[in-house]
Parts: sequence; C-alpha cells; structure tokens
Amino acid sequence: MTTEQVVSLRQITGGRLQRFQAFTVASLLALAVWQLATLISDGWVPSLWRIMEALGEDASTASIYTDMWITLRRIFVTFAAATSIGIGLGVAMGLNRRVMAFFRPIVVMGLAVPDVVYIIVAILVLGTEESSGLIAMVLALIPFVVNIVVGGVGARDPGLDEMSAVYRLRRLRYLVDVVGWQVSPSLIVATRTCFAFAWKLIVLVEALSQPRGIGAQIYYSFRLLRPDHMIARALLFIVVLRLVEAIIFAPVEKRFLGWMR
Amino acid sequence: MTHSGEYIRVRDLDVSYDGITPAVSALSMDVAEGEFAAVLGPSGCGKSTLLHAISGVVQPQSGTIEIAGLPVGAGRGDDSVPIGYVFQEHRLLPWRTVAQNIAIVLRAAGVADDDVDPRIDHYLEMLHISKFRNTWPLRLSGGQRQRVSIARALAIQPAVVLMDEPFSTLDEVTARVMRQQLADLWQRSNQTIVFVTHSIREALFLAGRIFILTQGPARLFDTIEVSVPRPRRYEDPRLTELEAQIVEHVMDEWGYGANSGEEPRE
Ligand SMILES: Nc1ncnc2c1ncn2[C@@H]1O[C@H](COP(=O)(O)OP(=O)(O)OP(=O)(O)O)[C@@H](O)[C@H]1O
Ligand SMILES: [Mg+2]
Repeated sequence: MTTEQVVSLRQITGGRLQRFQAFTVASLLALAVWQLATLISDGWVPSLWRIMEALGEDASTASIYTDMWITLRRIFVTFAAATSIGIGLGVAMGLNRRVMAFFRPIVVMGLAVPDVVYIIVAILVLGTEESSGLIAMVLALIPFVVNIVVGGVGARDPGLDEMSAVYRLRRLRYLVDVVGWQVSPSLIVATRTCFAFAWKLIVLVEALSQPRGIGAQIYYSFRLLRPDHMIARALLFIVVLRLVEAIIFAPVEKRFLGWMR
Repeated sequence: MTHSGEYIRVRDLDVSYDGITPAVSALSMDVAEGEFAAVLGPSGCGKSTLLHAISGVVQPQSGTIEIAGLPVGAGRGDDSVPIGYVFQEHRLLPWRTVAQNIAIVLRAAGVADDDVDPRIDHYLEMLHISKFRNTWPLRLSGGQRQRVSIARALAIQPAVVLMDEPFSTLDEVTARVMRQQLADLWQRSNQTIVFVTHSIREALFLAGRIFILTQGPARLFDTIEVSVPRPRRYEDPRLTELEAQIVEHVMDEWGYGANSGEEPRE
C-alpha cells in the first residue's frame, strides 16, 4: 500500500468516525430533550421507556403490518401517479412556452393551497372513499414535482439543444438522451420530495377519512389518549420508509448520476 | 482554382442576439459546392454567429441563407442538406461515451445499424482517439473532446461541414497532423467546408478561398483566392508571403492601423 492510499484511507475512516460521533451526539441530545419534556409535562409526554414498551407491543401485533402495507400501497399509488403526471407536465412546461403560460398560474396556486384543503374538499365532493383521499393527495403533490422539474428543464444547456437540432435528433431521442439526462438530478430530487410528502399527507388522509392504515392507527391512539403508541407506530413506519428509500432510491441515484464522477 | 455557383448563399445577413446589438451586419457571401472556404476575422467579430446562422440554429433578424437552393432555419426538413458542425465548444453529451455520442448522430442521420460501429472506428482512428472509444467525455482533455466532436461531424459524411476553430485547442504538432488529414479528406470527398479560424496560416494551408470579415458586427471585408497548388506544405514560403500580405491588409480594418490609435474591440 502506498502512503497516498494510507492517507486517503485515514481520511475516509476519519470522515466516517466524525459523522458517527456527530450522529451520536445529536441523537443523545434529542433523547435528553425528550426526557426533559416528559418531566415538565407531568407525564402527558410519554417517557422514552414507555415508548420503548409500546414499540415492543406494537411490533409484535400482526395487524400493524397489515396497516403498514395498506399505507405503503397508498403511498406508492399516489407517489407513482403524482411523479409521472408531474414530470410529464413539468417537462412539457419547460419545453413549450404555451404550455408554460397556461399551467404556470395553476401550479403557483396549487403550491399555495394548504394540503388539508385538498383533502377536505375531496372528501366533501367525492365522499370518504379511499380514492377521494388519494386523488386529493395526487393533486396536492403534483405542483411540487412540476416546480422542481420545470427548474431542471429550464436550466438545461442551450448548446446541446442546438447540437440536437443540427444533427436532427428525433424527438424521443432528444427527450431521453439530451433533456432527460440533464434533468435527471432534478427528477431524482422531485421523486424524493414527492415520496417524503406522500408519507406526510397519507397520514392526514387516513386520520381524516380512513378506518385502516398507519395514519388511522396513529389517530386512534391519539383519541384513546395513548401517545406512547402514537409515537411508536409513527417510528415503526419511519423505519420502513427509510428502508424503502435505501433499497429503491439510492441505487437509482447511483445509476443515473454515475457519469458525473 | 475557380469557383462558380452559390451552393451556400448568404445575403444581407443581420443577426442580433438581443434584437438591439448586431453581431453580424449586412453580410453577403457565397460558397461554391465542394469548396473549402475559410472565414477569418478578429476575436468577437461574429464568426461563430455566422456559422450558427448557416446551420440554422440562430434565426437572422433579416437577410436570407440558402443551402443548395433551400432556405435554412427552423423548418429544416429531412430533404435539406445534412450538416456536420464542429462547434467552438465540443457540445458532447457528458452522460454518453465517446462512441455513443457518435452513434446517436449516425442513427439520426439514418446510417444503417451494421455500419454504425465500423464508421465510429474509422473516424476515431483517423483522429487518433480510438483508445477513448468507451470513455466519458468529462474524462477527456479539451483537445481530445474537440477531436471527438470533429469525428462526430465527419462521421455522418455530410454534404456541408461547418468547423469553428476546431484545432485551436490542440498542440501544434497534433494540429498539423489534423490539418493535413482534413485537407486529404476534403480532396477525396466533395464536401463543402466552411472553416472558421483566426490563424491566417491555417486558413492559407487549408482553404481555396478566404473570407475576411471586418471587426464586429461582421461584414465581408475581402475575399482572397489561394492559388497555391495542392498538396500544400505548411512551411511553404509562398504561404508565408501571403500571410504577411494579409496581415498588412487587415491591420487597419481590424483596428490596429497606424492612425486608428484605439484598442481593437473585443
Ligand atoms: N449567445 C449569445 N448571446 C448574446 N450575445 C452573444 C451570444 N453569442 C455571441 N454573442 C455576441 O455576439 C458577438 C459575436 O460573437 P461570436 O461568438 O460570433 O464571435 P467570434 O467571432 O466567434 O469570436 P471568437 O473568435 O472569440 O470565437 C459578440 O459580441 C458576442 O458578445
Ligand atoms: Mg467564435
């Protein structure tokens, strides 16, 4: 091993160690603050210990996994619909001035409307079917995706557009090979944002209108005044979401951003 | 060599990027079919803009450009003349390898699938960059990228090749090899080449005719026929003599005249 390699190895391990230390300190601090809140709140905020107990109980009930599955499925459906519509619309707006002129005000409005309003309006109009909540979510998510994608398309290199015109690349080639790859970093940001928002929104939708799903469970626990279970269920699901992110998003990101390194 | 015909026909061309400041103004010139034409002008005078306009990627304010009798521009249909363009910057797709970059334009030009790979190999070899076949453009040096861009332009074997200072990023020895190869290639083909350069010697070595532009906004200042027979030698004393004459000739016009006293415009 050359000295250079040794140095670089040390830098890497040094970096990891540092990150680990920072993570530990931050987590301990958060736990300490929580525990303090428990003491101050006269027991309304459940202690860490009670949350641990609730976690253990919940994790060993079968129904929580059914609820998780229901919620995950809903997230994926809305996420898939919102990203594909949002990306399509965002690209169209970024490439075509007329489409932009037409949709821009709608998107700006869509961004400003509070998420709860979408959900409540959907329930009022469409009833408490599962689909009404999901449609509301898709509508609430699309403006975010569009916004990010439009930015990415607008920032593309005009030189490559000119190159494509001179060499007469076909429309699809141009969209995939020239626009698509330039936009891919923002597409990844858009999908990630969409996924994260989908989770936050589904909890609201389920709490407001659904009998099953993690959001409904969290809401039950709240109504039964069992905050420990409320937090335990949210935590369990967050772990699942992080796993999904690590398994699906990280490799995709690596694949599409490889040429940059 | 005599030139007849108006294969590329530029008339009263006005180009402006912002609609106010002209980049090219009232420029007219004709390039004959199969001609090797050089365009010479001071930095910033509008040479790249002229090529942009000829390729159709920039719309003129006024004036007309025709290639083989067809107007260039947005509506450049499939029946218009194919153009290879070596941009001043390489304009390669960074997320495609060298070979893929060339393959994309070959396919767009309708080259049969079986011919794509041999074509790529041939032109990479010609430009001495075969070993970078599967490399990402970002991993190449500026000169290597420029050669990929040249390979891409030539590989589609277009009727018209526009080249914007293609050799200016190369070391002198490589540049000479490339110039020689380009001269040979042009003689064997019947391609029409418009070659922008700021090197008078390079223009004299390669071109049959040199279009000298004014300071920006570019107009046509003068046209010079280069009658030195081919094959030419880069060190040919006749070229040296012509070079001196041209320098003398453009001095005033390019803003370095004895009585102009002002800095040339950038
Ligand atoms: N995309 C653009 N937007 C606005 N102005 C531009 C653009 N490209 C060029 N110009 C302007 O047009 C003029 C001509 O530029 P051009 O690139 O054609 O010069 P050039 O002769 O090719 O110069 P060089 O020898 O340095 O390459 C310059 O004044 C430049 O500032
Ligand atoms: Mg230029």
